[in-house]
Amino acid sequence: MGDLHHEGDPAASGTAVLSEPRDAPLVALIGPPNSGKTTLFNRLTGLRQKVANYPGVTVEKHVGRVQLGGERTVDLVDLPGVHGFSARTLDEKITRDVLEGRMPGLHPPDALVLIVDSTRLEAQLMLVEPVLELEVPTLLVLNMWDELTERGGAVDESALAERLGVEIVKTNARLGTGIEAVQAFLARAAVRAPSQTERTLTNVPGGVALPMMDAFAERRRRVRAVVEAAGFVPPRPSGFSERLDHLALHRIWGPLVFLAVVVLVFQSIFTWAVPLMDGVDALISGSGEWIATTLPESWFRSLLVDGVWAGVGSVVIFLPQILILFLFLGILEDSGYMARAAVIADRMMYRVGLQGRAFLPLLSGYACAVPAILAARTVDDERDRLATIFVTPFMTCSARLPVYALLIAAFIPDEPLLGPIMGQRAAVLLGLYGLGIVAAIGTAFLLKRTLLKAQAGSFLMELPPYRIPSLRSLGLRLLDRSKIFLRRAGRIIFAVTVVLWASTQFPRVDGGPPLIDDSLLGRTGQLIEPAIEPLGFDWRIGIGLVTSLAAREVIIGTLGTIYGVEDASDDSLDLMAALQRDLSTGAAIGLLIFFVFALQCMSTVAVMRRETAGWKWPILQFTYMLALAYAGAFIAVRIF
Amino acid sequence: MDLRLGDIPLRQTVELTHIDLPAEEMEPLLERGVLPGCRICPVRSSPSGDPIVSVDGSLLALRRETAACLCVRLLTALQDAS
Ligand SMILES: Nc1nc2c(ncn2[C@@H]2O[C@H](COP(=O)(O)OP(=O)(O)OP(=O)(O)O)[C@@H](O)[C@H]2O)c(=O)[nH]1
Ligand SMILES: [Mg+2]
Repeated sequence: MGDLHHEGDPAASGTAVLSEPRDAPLVALIGPPNSGKTTLFNRLTGLRQKVANYPGVTVEKHVGRVQLGGERTVDLVDLPGVHGFSARTLDEKITRDVLEGRMPGLHPPDALVLIVDSTRLEAQLMLVEPVLELEVPTLLVLNMWDELTERGGAVDESALAERLGVEIVKTNARLGTGIEAVQAFLARAAVRAPSQTERTLTNVPGGVALPMMDAFAERRRRVRAVVEAAGFVPPRPSGFSERLDHLALHRIWGPLVFLAVVVLVFQSIFTWAVPLMDGVDALISGSGEWIATTLPESWFRSLLVDGVWAGVGSVVIFLPQILILFLFLGILEDSGYMARAAVIADRMMYRVGLQGRAFLPLLSGYACAVPAILAARTVDDERDRLATIFVTPFMTCSARLPVYALLIAAFIPDEPLLGPIMGQRAAVLLGLYGLGIVAAIGTAFLLKRTLLKAQAGSFLMELPPYRIPSLRSLGLRLLDRSKIFLRRAGRIIFAVTVVLWASTQFPRVDGGPPLIDDSLLGRTGQLIEPAIEPLGFDWRIGIGLVTSLAAREVIIGTLGTIYGVEDASDDSLDLMAALQRDLSTGAAIGLLIFFVFALQCMSTVAVMRRETAGWKWPILQFTYMLALAYAGAFIAVRIF
Repeated sequence: MDLRLGDIPLRQTVELTHIDLPAEEMEPLLERGVLPGCRICPVRSSPSGDPIVSVDGSLLALRRETAACLCVRLLTALQDAS
């Protein structure tokens, strides 16, 4: 599986098996959602775990090592945000298990860093009591100090420290101010003896003695007394956020803004990407031609030029489009708009039968289904969580984008549809994304009324203040994204194209390669052909559908290689022209629809299996989506 | 007498007195600072008409079904001063 890891895959980054005897103490970062834990974690460890401006971003434990100068190191574990320790959701359970020392493979933490958003000090300090009851050395970090002071808030942190009996540090994790004091605390952390480490967290203060509501109110009074004694002045509400919300959550403007954002994204994927794609294209075909003229005629040249360059190159061209998509997703996530979008969509989710909370995981499915399925851990009802992850693969992940872009560019004319606002190509792209949403809604609706019958849960969403995305964080997102994309192209697609190329070379005819129809690959393809003939696909597409099981964009590399070998005589690699020749428009639309529905992604199947603890759901999902895909393509080729 | 958060006009701060919900739906509210004695103010409504309230400096989006289960009382001038 090594090559199929997507971002956010816990097998890739989440687990840390600590060695025995322990050389470094373990410090856990805890706090309410969206308080800046991961920002601080990234600062301290130099790692790049996902940060975004909405609650519930981190859903897995992530361990990183902090170098503190000299030989001293500390293992830091970043955890999902919690408001308390009731552990109603899977991500909250992870946090509780780590703190209680029950997480397999992880020692009980030797020290804790409790990080809170100081603009909402009173509410956030509700965590202090249960955390201090653990009797582990604790540092309280008042993060977002910049926002507190900018908006006229204040607190006397030494008075607070004295009242609470804990050490306090003020930080701006975004800029790194105050980080030295956190490092100084980490440097003092020491490995604790095992006997000191067993503990249980109690969420409801006072246990069963008091009714829950009163018990919380009691705790709240104690917190208020402390905060008042420390002279806490709450900050003014952010005027900037209020004005933006006035627009974003307006009864009429709100949904229109939502729509405008969506149209802008799709239109720019086609218009802005074109010059960039032309550049990448020139680079790839230029270097391919250079190799073709420099190397002597040999099997190796054929492998390199017709196999690898044509295959990998045809996928790499789509990097600019992927980056534009991620630029927009990054801006939406970092600004705080995502949480508003969830509010706007909540009523619809409610009618379908899903939790409003499920909207954020579903949205992250536009990047990749794997982290989105993990993010569904924030959905508390188990049936709702299953329904959410079942429909997640219908969200158009970025791996589908190259396939859509290629087929649309080959078969849909580049003409305006709504004047200058939207062209036909962007409209078709939007339609494909829409079709995915319709499938998701229909499926969720069915599921919630059959297999996963349950009342729709409640909805509670904290709306963080809007924050201006930093260029640095956007830049890093795009850099990381390019690396993931190119790594996939360089590994999976490279491997597939080499194998495909090799199977076009045998059986040898008079010591040379056979006609492609007679090659091993052609014969295999013709075995598949009867199954897909009703869809108007030939054997080349058939091979592409099989290889795209590894990952969707592999189909492009596959077709690139097949046509690269087949048309080796004419030098220019023109996948689009070849497709136009071999595929009817109806079949092309059928192929697009096939990709909207089918679950061609082994990583998704694997993560489904892990998150549902069994094969039942992934098998059901795979079959269901394949059936939809086949039916959809079957109908499309007859209509268009 | 039995005033609910859902009946309160925008921008009027009230005090929460009781939460009329089963424990598992109540706990998330309690943990987020929506508990008896807190000041709560509906600041706007979402496009679908659900309330967005400000409590303790946090903005919280609820469903109107939930707001209908939050019992509140008006703050009189006297209480405000104390
Ligand atoms: N202004 C300001 N913004 C901050 C600060 N620290 C973090 N942020 C922003 O706050 C948002 C949330 O940060 P994260 O690090 O993702 O928060 P988290 O606590 O890991 O959140 P969850 O994983 O959802 O629990 C991001 O938009 C950060 O850029 C800070 O000190 N000042
Ligand atoms: Mg986080």
